[in-house]
Formats: sequence, C-alpha cells, structure tokens
Amino acid sequence: MLTNNNSNKMFFLFILFFSTLISISSNSWFGCWIGLEINLLSFIPLISNSKNLLSVETSLKYFLTQSLASINFLFMILIKFSLLKNFDMNNIISIMMNSSLLMKMGSAPFHFWFPNIVEGLSWMNNFMLMTWQKISPMILLSYYFNKNFLIFMIIMNLIIGSLGGLNQTSLRKLLAFSSINNLGWMIFSIMISENLWLFYFLIYSMMIFMMISLFFLMNMYFMNQLFINNMNFFIKLNLLINFLSLGGLPPFMGFMPKWIIINFLLINKFYFLTFIFMMTSLIIIYYYIRIIYSSFMFNYFKMKWVNLLMKNNMSLINLSSFISISSMILSTFIFM
Amino acid sequence: MCFNSFFFLFFFMLINFFFFVYFIMNGLSVFFEWEIISFNSMSIVMSILLDWMSLLFMMFVSLISSVVIFYSKSYMNSELNLNRFIILVLMFVFSMVLLIISPNLISILLGWDGLGLISYCLVIYYQNLKSYNAGMLTALSNRIGDVMILMIICWVMNYGSWNYIFYFDFMKNDYVMFIISFMIIIAAMTKSAQIPFSSWLPAAMAAPTPVSALVHSSTLVTAGVYLLIRFNYLLIDMFFFKVLLFLSILTMFMSGISANYEFDLKKIIALSTLSQLGLMMSILSLGFPDIAFFHLLTHAMFKALLFMCAGVIIHMMNDIQDIRYMGGLSLYIPLTSLCLNISNLSLCGIPFLSGFYSKDLILEMVSFNSFNLMVFILFYLSTGLTVFYTFRLIMYVMINDFNLMMIYNLYDEDYIMLNSMFVLLFMSLLSGSFLSWFIFSYPYMIYLPFNLKLMVIYVSILGSILGFMVSNMGIYSLNKLLLSYNLSSFLCLMWFMPNLSTYGLSYIYLNFSQILFKNIDMGWSEIYSGKGIFNILKNYSVFYNIYQMNNFKIYLFSFILWFMILFIFFFI
Repeated sequence: MLTNNNSNKMFFLFILFFSTLISISSNSWFGCWIGLEINLLSFIPLISNSKNLLSVETSLKYFLTQSLASINFLFMILIKFSLLKNFDMNNIISIMMNSSLLMKMGSAPFHFWFPNIVEGLSWMNNFMLMTWQKISPMILLSYYFNKNFLIFMIIMNLIIGSLGGLNQTSLRKLLAFSSINNLGWMIFSIMISENLWLFYFLIYSMMIFMMISLFFLMNMYFMNQLFINNMNFFIKLNLLINFLSLGGLPPFMGFMPKWIIINFLLINKFYFLTFIFMMTSLIIIYYYIRIIYSSFMFNYFKMKWVNLLMKNNMSLINLSSFISISSMILSTFIFM
Repeated sequence: MCFNSFFFLFFFMLINFFFFVYFIMNGLSVFFEWEIISFNSMSIVMSILLDWMSLLFMMFVSLISSVVIFYSKSYMNSELNLNRFIILVLMFVFSMVLLIISPNLISILLGWDGLGLISYCLVIYYQNLKSYNAGMLTALSNRIGDVMILMIICWVMNYGSWNYIFYFDFMKNDYVMFIISFMIIIAAMTKSAQIPFSSWLPAAMAAPTPVSALVHSSTLVTAGVYLLIRFNYLLIDMFFFKVLLFLSILTMFMSGISANYEFDLKKIIALSTLSQLGLMMSILSLGFPDIAFFHLLTHAMFKALLFMCAGVIIHMMNDIQDIRYMGGLSLYIPLTSLCLNISNLSLCGIPFLSGFYSKDLILEMVSFNSFNLMVFILFYLSTGLTVFYTFRLIMYVMINDFNLMMIYNLYDEDYIMLNSMFVLLFMSLLSGSFLSWFIFSYPYMIYLPFNLKLMVIYVSILGSILGFMVSNMGIYSLNKLLLSYNLSSFLCLMWFMPNLSTYGLSYIYLNFSQILFKNIDMGWSEIYSGKGIFNILKNYSVFYNIYQMNNFKIYLFSFILWFMILFIFFFI
C-alpha cells in the first residue's frame, strides 16, 4: 500500500468480489461471518490513501462501524446456536441479527456513518460502497428476518432518505441519502423474493453507475459545480434522463422496478406502506429536479470563460441515455 | 391571391347560375350520397342536396364573395398579411356552401360551427381591445346556437339518421319534433341576431369592412333564416313559431328606432341589417318561406353594396366612421354616391328597384291576410322607420354642408373598388325583377282597398320628411336628445339589451372569482399545499441535520445501547 498503483487495487478488488461470494454461498452462519470480515478487510485498502488525511479518517470510521456490526453479528450467531436450538423466526435474536446487518448496510436507524463516509470517498469507491457492499448483508438478511421489525425499518429508511437529502448541497451526500431511500425499496423486495430483489438491485446499480460515471468524468462533487462549467447538450440531457430515471419517472428505466414493487405491495395489502413509498419518492424527485432544472431550460446559467469539451467517452454517454429511455419498451421484447 | 380567388368564385357563380336555371325550369332536384364507411349496422354517409333554392343561394353567396374579395384587394392593400385574410374569407365561403347544400344535420353543424369560428377570426382581425371584445361577444352568442344544434343532433338520433328532410312529412306531431322545433328556432335566433341575442351584430362592426359586407350583411346572418326555411314544413303550425313572430317584429322595430339615434356609419348599416333580418324572420313565421327567401336574396345584394360604399367613404375620411364629420359628399364623389343612393333607395323600397319587389310583396301579404293589429302596425311603422334612418343618413353624409376635417382625401377613381361595386349595383337594380320571374311561377293573389295599398307610400313619405327634418342641424340648434334623456338613452342603446349579454353575465362571476382567487388560490391553498408543505419539509430536514452532524462515538454508542436494550428484553 505504499505505492498506489493499479495492481494493488486489482488484487483487493478480486478479494472483495470473492468475499461476497463466500458470504452468500456458505452453508453455515459462520461462513457468512467470515465472508463479511474478509469483505471489510479487503475494502479498507481500497479506500485508504495515506497521502490524504480525509480518506484516512474515512477509512478509520468505516472500519470502526463495520467491525462493530460484525462483532455483534458473530455474537448473535453464537447465542443463537447455543441458546436456541429451534428455528424460530419471530424472535428477538432475529431482531438483533437484522440490526447488525442493517448497520453493515447503512440502513436507518443505524445509518449515521453512511453520509459521513460517502463524503470522504472518491466517486468510484462510492460506487463500490453503494452497490457491491450491499449485496451480502441483503442476502443474509433474507435468510433470517423479522417481518414487523423490517417493515418499521423500511419506513424509517424512506423517511430519512427523503428528508435528510433536502438540506444537502454535496452531490455525494445527496446520492447517499438517495441510496438510503432505495435501501427501503430493496429491503421490501427481499422480503418478497430474492429474484425480485435481484431485479431491483441490478437496475439500481446500473442507474447509479451511469450517474456516478458522469460525475466522475466531469469531476463534480458539489451542486454549485454543476453550473460552473459549460456542459454541452448531450451531457445535460444525459444528466436529466438519469436523474429522472433514478427518481422513478415513467418512460425511463427506473420506473420499472418501482412499479413492480408497488404491484407486490398492493397484492400483499400493504396499503399504508404504499402511501409512504409514494410520498417519499415525491420528495426525492423534488431534490433531483432541483439539481437539474436549470440545465434543461432554455435560459440556463452559463459561464462565459470556461469551455468544457468532451472529446472522448461521448459514446458512453449516448449509450447510457439510450438505455435509460428505451429499457421499458425493449424489455417487453425480451419476454415475448 | 385576390385575383385567383375572384376568378374562381366568379366562375363558380356562373356554373351555379346555369344549373339554377336548368333545375328550376325543369323542376329537378338532385340528392348525392357518398357512403364513406359502413361497418355492421353503422354507416357514415355524406349527402348533398342540390335543388333550386340551394343553387340560387350558392350563386348569390359566390357572387358577393367574389366581388368582396376583389374589393378587398384595394381596400386592404396596406395589410401585410393579406393572404391570411383571403384564406379566412375563402374558408368562410366554404363553410357557408357546406351549410347550404346539406340535407343532413351533421354537415349543417360543420358549416354552422365553421361560420361561427371563422367569423370570430375575422372580427378580431384588427387586433385591438375593441375588436377582441366584439369578437368574444360574437363568438359566444353564436356558440349558443351551436349548442342548440348539437342538442338537436342528439334528439334526432331517435329517428335513426340525421337527414332531417325525410322526416317532416311523417313525424310532425311527435314530442321529439316539438323539442327539435324549439331548439332550431333558438339556434336560428342566435345566428340571425333576434331579440335576446341581438347585441353582437352592431358590435361585430369592429371587423374590416369587406368582412362586414360579406359576413354581416348577406351570409352569416342569413344562415339562420335559411335554416328555418329548410325546416319550414316542420315548424309551420308549432307554438314557437308565434313566439318567433313576436320577437322578430320587435327586433325589426327596435333596431329601426336605434338606428335613428346612431352616429356611427357602420352601426347604422348594421342596425338596418338587423331590421331587415327581423322582417325576414317575421314574414317566415307568418308562413311564407319563399317570400322570405326572396327578400333574403335581394337584401343581400343591396346591403353588401351599401357596406362597400361605406368602406369607400371611410377610407376617404381618413378612417373616421362618424357621420357628423361627413357631409356634402354627393358633389365630390359622384360614382360612389350613385351606388350609395341606389342601395339606400332599394332598401327603402322605392318602386321598381330590387328591394321594392320583395318588401312591397311582404307588406301586401301582411295586409291581405288577416293578422292582428300589432303585427300590422309594427310592420308599417318599421317600414317608415327604415325610410327615416335612410334619409337621415343620406342627409348627413351627402347633402348637408361639408364638415371640413383636417385631413381628407376625396378620391373617387379607385376603379378596383368601383368595379366591384358596379357589379353589385347592376345586380341590385335588376335582381328584384329577375328573381321574382324565376322563383314565383305564378303571382300571389292580392286584392286590397286603395288606401291600404298606398299605406306603404304614405309611411315612406312620412319617414322621409321626418328624416329630412331631423338632420337639419346647425350651429345654434338645440340638442333635443338632452331634453328627453331617459327615453333617448333607452331607445338608442337598443333598449339596454346588450347589457344582458355583457355586464349581466360577466359582472357577478368576475366579482366572485376575484374573491375566490384572493382567498383560496393565493391564500389558504398556499398554506395547506405549496409553500406550507415546503416549509414543513424544510424544517424537518433542518431538524434532522442536527442529529446527523454529530460526534462519531455517539453513533457507535447508540448502536451498543440499542443492543443492550434488546438484551434486557430478551433476558427478562
């Protein structure tokens, strides 16, 4: 770790992927815990950069929270094995196991580390944190969850994800709160079926990838940076489409997983929960639109002395816009 | 564009004339039917009825519109978008033709709605506030008629098709036909500006003069009369026809009186049109549809001519329409004053001009058949009033002294406008006799005592003497209008009926909507949605951030605390 070259990162990335697979596909709870620990150990070198004080502090915070959660998880596993021989779902042990897994994921009410850490990471590390690191806690959650506790957690996720993001100007924190909100949707989907969760997760990670890659290419971390540089038309269009898609607006790709989850909500008669899903989604779209509205008006804010030319990687941007717009229609061709 | 449309409409007129003569001499009538689509038991069919009445009316409409388009080449030559104007006029003519040839309520509706909409577009053609208000009044009054026709379409669906022509002989005493007759009379009253709906016709004079000549003299306002002529078999002994008689003779009388107090040239001509429309409607409701049709056609000729002369005079007076600024024009513009005189005298019914044939026939039929005293008195009184305001107009515009304005331009040699007026002059002289020889295959039998026969002449002479005396104004004349102020204002403002259509309808609602807007839209609904919810959410978010920006150890410790609480629950 003394040098920061790509071979180190590839090595730890490989172990990161492998650790999640260990965690998911193990036969016993112990194996799960081992996977989670290796996950933690391999993620820390990815995010710490000894030249930058902020990233060191961030990796320390990450280590503390995740290790606390892992310790608790291990302890609950041992209590479950030793004290409770029967496999009883609605139990306090399940609540405690779920709480530790929720803290691993960064879900409310144990989410307070999440915006802080996201603030200190670069965009690609954020991408890893928001997508890949959620896989193994989610699947472990689906093995032994307490329905009432999780529904309460869903509601808290949604509300905190929407209300917390209203007062933010940093793009990373905004995406962090949006990620907390989407965690609410994902926890519900994993209560229904793992296949449904996979569907939601894949589409969500694709959308986050498009967004984060756009911000990474433009090197933007704060909201005022959106208006300083001159974006050409396609970049603005892409930004608009991706944000609206993330918010769940109909013709775009992000509408479909939300639609299917609402379908399952109504089938299972969770009417009030549906209402909360809807209303918080509205607040989230409000602050997305607040970011992008000036980019799609005719009279937009423009600086005269900065001219940003995107010479390469336009194909990526065009491809991502195309995918976001046409996914709903193209998906009907898949199942015909 | 003007020349092309003029030639097209002129040749269309000639074709119609040829077919009219052929059809009326051989007693033919042709019914075309085009089945557009037919599916199981439903079929959509477009039908066209060509008999002598529709061909004759189409001939007159195309003649007047061709002449008006040619006239507007010179009248509106300073207009930037002249093509737009000509296209609007052509669309108007198309809607009118569609109305004339249709035996089918749906195509009548298409023509009727087209007439209403395009006349709105033409009235607001000069874009100032007065034109906008006039256009709104015109469009909304015509809209009532459109609604009535829509409801008729709905009721006629009881009979299976919308070809109303076939049902008159069989269904006369049905309750459905009773309702339909009521609605068709109201529709015709809105289009032809009878008494409750008569405020739009003087207001629509905000349109350009060629539009007034085409639309408000001969085509739009006669569409209602034409519709009632087509429906005449249905309506002839219905109760509502008597109501129509009452309202139309009152319209005739009221507009005759109001025209005597008016000083705007185009409004006088508009009120004269209104009076003649009342005459047409009343003779129709007395049971003589063919005489009504005859008067419709002759009136179209000389009224269009009158409007065009008024347009020439307005151009010459630097766009001033007030007759108090004009005078003595007969000495300076001989050709225009020739047309003006002949059309005015034809309007009065001076013997053997075209208006005489129709008006005199109407008055003799009223005297010969026994109707009640009020009908008789109002007919003759209105004829006298017609002569009264006509002579007053002639005295003010042409005979009295020249009221020198600062800028004037007495240019009579505009041969484009003059040639178009001469065409109508020729028709206005001859169309009376020509139509009476064609339409009436045998004359009406009229046998009257001597004084009753001359009653028309007595009333006309009385009217002309009064017109002469009223217009003798000098500098020291007493303004007698101020002596009888209440009565005069009642009579000159069309018996206060425009207030029914304007202030009466809008004032209460505008007041109420202001209260609603201030209290609800900009008041309470801002607190309960909109700004209020935004403030609540913002406060929540600020409140949340206090918990978010905290010491890291507290987060970790809160997690441990949660677990300790759960343990305590577990082990108790």
